[in-house]
Amino acid sequence: MQNLLFGLLTGSVLAVAASGFALLRNTERFLHIAHGQFMALGALLALVLSPEIGAVAGIAVAVVATAALGVVCGKVLFDPVKHRGGNVLLFTSVGLAFVTYGAMIAIFGTTLRVSEIELGRARDVGPVSVAPGEVVILAITVVVVAGLWLFLGRTAMGRDIRAVASNRELAHVRGVAINRVSTTVWAVSSGLAAVGGIMSGVVGSVTTESGWGYILLVLAAAVLGGIGNILGVIGAALLLGVVMDMSALVIDTSYRPVVAFALLIAVLLVRPQGLFSFHARKEVAA
Amino acid sequence: MISLDFLVTVATLALIYAMAAQLLNLEAGWGGMWDLGIAGLIGVGAYSYVLLTSPTDAFVPGLGLAFPLGMIGAGLITATVAVVIGWPALRLRGEYFLITTFAFAEILRQLIVINKDLTGGTFGLTGIARPWELQFTFEGYPYVRLGLTALLTLAIWLVCSRFASSAYGASLRAARDNEPLAMAMGKSIKTLRMSTYATVGLLCGLAVGPAYSWFLGAIVPSVFSANLTFTIWAGLVIGGLGSKLGPILGAALLTAVSELVRLVEVAPEHANLVSAIHPLLVGVLLIAVLRWRPDGLLSERGTFTRLRGRQGGRHAAPVAQASTAGTSATAARLEGERA
Repeated sequence: MQNLLFGLLTGSVLAVAASGFALLRNTERFLHIAHGQFMALGALLALVLSPEIGAVAGIAVAVVATAALGVVCGKVLFDPVKHRGGNVLLFTSVGLAFVTYGAMIAIFGTTLRVSEIELGRARDVGPVSVAPGEVVILAITVVVVAGLWLFLGRTAMGRDIRAVASNRELAHVRGVAINRVSTTVWAVSSGLAAVGGIMSGVVGSVTTESGWGYILLVLAAAVLGGIGNILGVIGAALLLGVVMDMSALVIDTSYRPVVAFALLIAVLLVRPQGLFSFHARKEVAA
Repeated sequence: MISLDFLVTVATLALIYAMAAQLLNLEAGWGGMWDLGIAGLIGVGAYSYVLLTSPTDAFVPGLGLAFPLGMIGAGLITATVAVVIGWPALRLRGEYFLITTFAFAEILRQLIVINKDLTGGTFGLTGIARPWELQFTFEGYPYVRLGLTALLTLAIWLVCSRFASSAYGASLRAARDNEPLAMAMGKSIKTLRMSTYATVGLLCGLAVGPAYSWFLGAIVPSVFSANLTFTIWAGLVIGGLGSKLGPILGAALLTAVSELVRLVEVAPEHANLVSAIHPLLVGVLLIAVLRWRPDGLLSERGTFTRLRGRQGGRHAAPVAQASTAGTSATAARLEGERA
């Protein structure tokens, strides 16, 4: 049971970050490799700022700053090469990942950082021991996911985003403000990356190297869920987290990432359209 | 001041990256297989070579074979691993192939970390047997190593050139640009891609892995992470995806620029800045080239126009297909030219 809780925590972090990744993938049509670096950046910013200006303000500033950086990168780096297709965008994102990584080394140094935010003393609730901080993290995940769901489902901007995601040209012809949608998606996606990164920083630790590991897990979660479906991605992220931490009961903990990626490959082969996608994903299988 | 020793070291590293970038060009540029797992294959090659050749009484015992046997063995092992990866991965396409190879590379790296008894875990392997190291002085050996690496690079260059002008290579490029049409012309695309992927594995193990381990002197798993894959990709994209000389030019440029930075003297408290400059430069170069020269410095069109000219239009058909097909790579390139 304890492992189930850890799994849900890992899964929450992944769910928040991967939903941002999937959102960007659906509207801008490329795999944003720098997403992992943005997670690390958000986490490092929050860890550095928190002792100076207080935990809540530090986290808020980190999220807003990362979101703003995302918007600027989207406008300056990605919009001018958008017409050249997904592969150019993907490698521009790889370039951005390297730049962000280098900038983080220059600014923060390479030391491992542990958050000063305490999770609080663990209490026994039934068969599991839960720390108040862990409950807060799970609650934040629920709030973020519900907020995203309401935003996409109930607001005019959310409707525009879904329109662009399903058919960019048609949305454009019907008068959807493509540029505003793009700006919003960059802000929301980068903000979610920062939130996910900060959560993972609070649960464990963070270094400038963390980004490369994050992006692998985010990619795995996004593909498992079937990228087009945000709820599917969230479900897959939780499942991935739970499977990774539950596998520790059966085999050595060092096999955790191996289990995650083996699961990913297995799913790609059996259900290439993703676990929670009900439309055949035509572009996948050869 | 730039010393000769330093130049020799940089040249060796540049050649190693050039070899890897050429192999990546073979599968990704011409084969259309966007592989984000090449670091995994190089890692398997390097580890197999070191374990086959290191003495039986070393800290992490090896088999103590002679170095040519070690290279051949490493090549065969890596080719086998490539077949095992390729069998499921090649059934997927585009982004999904890319993610699967990415995942496999990470699995390979984790397996190396986990199997401590065989591979030395995170501490890695030291005491690598380098060919003819004892026959030469300590100062002279880097030149020998440069020569050996250059020979291997030449061998890979010849393989890739032969490949570019062969019917096999033309079929592979045709399959990339218009798969149904290539199938309709009677090409077995699965076999074609599988054999290409296995060849890339073979050469990664035979040449790139051993050469990289000679260069490093000791190998640890963290060397073969996503960072290495993306650095090789950056070299290839900068030089020109699909061009024959492009990967060599790109890799040389990238290595030269990022290594020359090390010569700048800085105070110890700014050591972070120096280690930050390498990724910063790679990233900025990649973004800038994609923005202003999306084909890379040398283009595929250049390579094959020259080849066609020399051979009297024998390969006109696949290239003509390439310019009409509406698939991603070509279409993106045409888009770029129109803009």
